[in-house]
Amino acid sequence: MTDYDALVVGSGIAGMESALKLGDMGYKVLLVEKEASVGGRMILLSKVFPTLDCASCISTPKMAASIHHPNVTALTYTEVDGISRDGAGTFKATIRRKPRFVDEAACTGCQLCETACTVAVPDQFNADMVARRAAYIAFPQAVPKKAVLERAGTSPCTYTCPAGIKAHGYVSLIRSGEYEKAFQLVLEATPLVGTLGRACYAPCEGECARGSLEGTLPIRRLKRFAADRHYEAIDGPGVEVPPANGKGVAVVGSGPAGLTAAWQLARRGYRVKIFEAAPVAGGFLRLAIPAYRLPAEVVDHDISNVTAVGVEIATDSPVTDLEALRRDGFDAVLVATGTPLSTSLNVPGEKLDGVVSGLQFLRATRLGSAADLTSKRVVVVGGGNVAMDAARTAVRFNAAETTVAYRRGREEMPAHKAEIDDAERDRVRFLFQVGPVEVVGDAAGHVTGLRCQRMALGKPDASGRRRPEPIKGSEFVLLCDTVLVAIGMAPEGSAFGGRSASNTNGTLVADPRTLQTAVPHIFAAGDVATGASDITRAVGQGRRAAHMIDRWLKGEPLAGFEMDDVLPVADKTKVLARQTRYTHSTALDQATDTTAPRPDFAEIEAPMTEAEALAGSSDCLDCGVCSECQECVTACPSDAIHLDMREQIQEVSVGAVVVATGYKLFAADAKPEYGFGRYKNVITGMQMDRLLAPTRPYNTVLRPGDGKVPERIAFILCTGSRDETVGNPLCSRFCCMYSIKQNQLIMGALPLAEVTVHYMDIRAPGKRYDEFYEGAKSMGATYVKGRVAKITEKDDGNLVLRYEDIEHGGALVEAEYDMVVLAVGVQPNREVDRLFSGDDLALDAYDYVAEPNEDMDPGRTSIPGVFVAGAASGAKDITDSILHAGAAAAQVAAHLESLKVPA
Amino acid sequence: MTALKREIREIVREEPFMRGRILAVLAEGPHTVPEIAEAIGRPANEAMYWVMGMRRYGWVREVKEAAVDGYFRYQAVAREQRP
Repeated sequence: MTDYDALVVGSGIAGMESALKLGDMGYKVLLVEKEASVGGRMILLSKVFPTLDCASCISTPKMAASIHHPNVTALTYTEVDGISRDGAGTFKATIRRKPRFVDEAACTGCQLCETACTVAVPDQFNADMVARRAAYIAFPQAVPKKAVLERAGTSPCTYTCPAGIKAHGYVSLIRSGEYEKAFQLVLEATPLVGTLGRACYAPCEGECARGSLEGTLPIRRLKRFAADRHYEAIDGPGVEVPPANGKGVAVVGSGPAGLTAAWQLARRGYRVKIFEAAPVAGGFLRLAIPAYRLPAEVVDHDISNVTAVGVEIATDSPVTDLEALRRDGFDAVLVATGTPLSTSLNVPGEKLDGVVSGLQFLRATRLGSAADLTSKRVVVVGGGNVAMDAARTAVRFNAAETTVAYRRGREEMPAHKAEIDDAERDRVRFLFQVGPVEVVGDAAGHVTGLRCQRMALGKPDASGRRRPEPIKGSEFVLLCDTVLVAIGMAPEGSAFGGRSASNTNGTLVADPRTLQTAVPHIFAAGDVATGASDITRAVGQGRRAAHMIDRWLKGEPLAGFEMDDVLPVADKTKVLARQTRYTHSTALDQATDTTAPRPDFAEIEAPMTEAEALAGSSDCLDCGVCSECQECVTACPSDAIHLDMREQIQEVSVGAVVVATGYKLFAADAKPEYGFGRYKNVITGMQMDRLLAPTRPYNTVLRPGDGKVPERIAFILCTGSRDETVGNPLCSRFCCMYSIKQNQLIMGALPLAEVTVHYMDIRAPGKRYDEFYEGAKSMGATYVKGRVAKITEKDDGNLVLRYEDIEHGGALVEAEYDMVVLAVGVQPNREVDRLFSGDDLALDAYDYVAEPNEDMDPGRTSIPGVFVAGAASGAKDITDSILHAGAAAAQVAAHLESLKVPA
Repeated sequence: MTALKREIREIVREEPFMRGRILAVLAEGPHTVPEIAEAIGRPANEAMYWVMGMRRYGWVREVKEAAVDGYFRYQAVAREQRP
């Protein structure tokens, strides 16, 4: 017993015909189509020859019947991955249903998703003559008329963002001029749009596919651009406050993790209160990162997003008893207190006057209480971002000399490279491979120097960096007045009490996925749980914590789901291979200008202009195709867009197989003498058919080079067929006739146009075909015998054809045209090669599916039970394809019935 | 011989970015594709992709009168009349 009597692969006119005929006979048929609509090529044609019937008008009834026939199950956007014959003479087929990311039952075909989509790609259904969108309906007569989102994975920039920000999405919105929507898209992840637009270390840019061309997109600065535009125009986030859900969450700490979690929870209706020990909110954003990198007003704007949705922030409010928060009515607690403590040097003299932790120094700077460093010699110990911030801040306090002493080499520094580069531009001096041994002081207890010893780099340690090993006898004293210690950070754990366990490094023990501690209602996120990281990762932690707390408070399990169920990352090699050549744009210079004699605390990085933002975003390669900008999701009135759809594999058993995979068109650029792909007004016959179709890409027949209505149009027949030079000696059988059809249609659409056909000989052997040819001549089309040797393009886009005029003495002639149509031939579709395993589907000498006895037994292939319909076995026009498909259906019926006869 | 054509995918990708510039040109009145191309400083074949993409999605439409010197003129569609 099989699932289906027959599997038909391909739903062009032949596949549909075979499926319908078998269905009419009562057989159960599975019709599989790889594109999003049934119909194949015929539905894309203008009219058919010689009747000049509208192709759409006569195709669509069959298309609709294929979908609705009670005995035919049609699967579109589906691939057959393999077919194998079993011992019983039937077949197993592996079917892969590609995700549409659209609920077919809910989609009404309204195309609002397509209109809203921000990604433009060439429209293969219009022969690449116009753009479609990543969200699209294949063509107006598509059956089923359901949208598809083209996705090639998650774009690397989005995939790599630890904060969960859809970087490709906001870049795509900005290039579309939708700046506020770009801001709102970032807000979906975090309220810290302006902050991350400045202080994020931009891992997205490290993954940008454009990076291997002329350089990465300025993705971080584009986010800042969106934030700057928003804050110039709107006070607050510009979102509605959701209704309260009656539950409360206390957030301890107002750094990036706490603020992000509070924002996410408040937008889910929770009453949220943040408890901040410091006199100002923001954590390291306000008390560590210097103002020249992150101005206070930017952080204030971002924090106002949080308070605008009802979050209460209590400053100067250290929490010493987490359990008390529960008693105060909070249903859950998030600890996000960061790593406010500095690791000590553990060397003699550390208590001397003039030794300050880097964090304390930066905090005092932001609070306006830092000591005066004018003319002081400052040594910063450490190689991380805090060390860089401390050193650059010291420079701004007029230190006479600022030196960073780091025990490893530059390559091993944990600070981001950009921070190191900027510090060098600020004239910070670096001493590598030196470690502190003692802080040296005078009798009054003031620092006078730092005794150091030189280090050699040994084998890599657990961190993967080469271990520094002291060199005996290498000690020296680095004279200085101030030592800023920035070798590490640790959490402040007094509030944890005995309720939550801590790790040996002081971090709170929490499940790394759920962020839940041993105390179920207490969660921990950010540096307090992970150890010192950076604000972007802390934002991601805050977002995750909010999600988990929400699930926990709703009684939902914290296991068995993925928070961000994203597609695998798009393959950058494949992305770059979409084009054979790239136009390199001028990448924006992302370096900051710090050449001023003495840098100050004014923000260094200049904002992007609108022109820069548009130019920068327009370089995006749309790696994942869909940008996940969410515009389609918002536009869809039926809630039909589901980005979490995934492909489905199913196995089916069938009694017989019909291969109806059609043909491929000859790639016209393989005849370089005709200039297709280089000359702007050389098109293919398929492109001309699209220009003549009712659903044409332009408003009428226009030349693609400049939109001119062509007055002189030439056709070149046998392009890529009957041509040994391209390996195809076969006649393609219908190029003459479709060209004659186009001649007639052009002369109807453009009565003043002159049409000239360059041919070797006209093949019009079918019923009323020759009359059709004579009709075109009588309408005024000119037929010139002789093969065109070469085309050249003029500056105005006109094309000069050079040919031998055989019927007029063989003279070499040059003629000028507005536009040239290459009547391309057909080639076998080699995709059938991979369909079968176990049995070889024999191909003929020209790689079409072989019919071993095609004269007497058409449709049969080399594999018993496998049949071929239409142009998969050789070039056929529509009429012949339908006849052949009917024959194949009859063969299938005979085969299936023969299986019922006892041997 | 004219300059080498850019790849179609690259041209098409820029349509959202070029939209604003083209609409700014059309704010002055209907223009042909070569006129638009000249105004934005880009090749006419590239402007053709952008204008036709915008036409498809309702941003511009052709002026119905007969083509002038073989060219149609295109005008911006008012925001409230767009899909």
